[in-house]
Amino acid sequence: MAKPYAHPEVLVSTEWVDEHKHDPNVRVVESDEDVLLYQVGHVPGAVKVDWHTDLQDESVREYIDKDRFAELCASKGIANDTTVVFYGDKNNWWACYAMWVFKLYGHADCRIMNGGRKRWELDNRSWSRDPEPQYARTNYVAKDADLSIRAFRDEVLKHQRAGKPLVDVRSPGEYTGELLHMADYPQEGALRGGHIPGAVNIPWARAANDDGTFKSAKDLDKLYSGEAGLKRRSSVIAYCRIGERSSHTWFVLQYLLGYPKVKNYDGSWTEWGNTVGVPIEKGPGKPAEVAETVRSGA
Amino acid sequence: MSATLAERADAIATEFADLDPRERLELLLEFAEKLAPLPPQYAAERDAGHNRVHECQTPVFLWVDLEDGRVHVHADVAPEAPTVKGFVSLLADIVSGATAAEVVAFQPNLVERFGLAQSLGMVRMRGLQAIAHHIRRKVADAAAK
Repeated sequence: MAKPYAHPEVLVSTEWVDEHKHDPNVRVVESDEDVLLYQVGHVPGAVKVDWHTDLQDESVREYIDKDRFAELCASKGIANDTTVVFYGDKNNWWACYAMWVFKLYGHADCRIMNGGRKRWELDNRSWSRDPEPQYARTNYVAKDADLSIRAFRDEVLKHQRAGKPLVDVRSPGEYTGELLHMADYPQEGALRGGHIPGAVNIPWARAANDDGTFKSAKDLDKLYSGEAGLKRRSSVIAYCRIGERSSHTWFVLQYLLGYPKVKNYDGSWTEWGNTVGVPIEKGPGKPAEVAETVRSGA
Repeated sequence: MSATLAERADAIATEFADLDPRERLELLLEFAEKLAPLPPQYAAERDAGHNRVHECQTPVFLWVDLEDGRVHVHADVAPEAPTVKGFVSLLADIVSGATAAEVVAFQPNLVERFGLAQSLGMVRMRGLQAIAHHIRRKVADAAAK
């Protein structure tokens, strides 16, 4: 029998979503890199949460606060006991990001539709171009931010000095310091190229198959405990440029492989690579064999 | 087309300005849908990876031609990137038929003028601005030949 995921209940298939898309206890949430994709076509009944305009504060480099998160959920008809299923473009990259924010504020039942938009399309399921549906408001109560999944700079520095595991999920070129950003990604500048000393490089999209679904538990285990040498019980911090790609890796480690202590460092390279006085390492460090661009589809 | 580049830009900016953030996205989507398909003579260059806008996060391919002193823009953008496609289409509408001098002199602070910041967010705006600068640079290069 194939090795199961640690928490298989957090992954649902496109078929499950098709069957439950109008279930009042389920809210399907699309979250994409491209802000217009939802309008081009979405899972019928799904609402849209934009990573940038809905989840980020505009005046502080910060996520929306607890009250705004509660308002967002209330306005989308999401109650505290709603099953929220996220999906999106690019291997569910932004879906994982949105789920991370929902987990930050303690939403209990969050799931990812395996394969996202790509799998839905490949399965020939129907797209809706209707305006975003309006559901009855709820009285959502958000919890205080759960900092067990979020790392800040000083903590990362301590973690690094203690020689604890860090996963850099950017492309090999960004990791070695040759590139300050991915050629295909938006420029989010940093003054220094390289990585946090001691971090191992496992580009995030290596966790995904060509159809956007997650790799099997066995293959993921090979990647993270084999190649990266991570230990399931240790505290792991994942980072990228702004904490988006690393939320995909956070999801994989925490839910598919069952690592109990995984944090996303959302300050990531745009903070670390611009911070006065923190150490940086250049060059290959620990090996990563496959370029991210091979599978990212970005 | 008799209007100047600035007049066309103003007309489109006014159209956007009258809309709320959600409607602005709808209008941008209309632009995406009306971007002319890439003329077949450019397909081979695109397939070879030439003429790509490297500042942009999704594959965007752009050609700028000067014909009888008038600018023509041809572009190809992946369908899974409708925002970028809409923006390219909008820019192509504005600059096509203009003189090179008009395009080079044009300050493409479009995103601010169209009020798209609120609908798109800062990170996305930067990528889109890069496309506008790319077009200006290409036109300046073509005019210098």
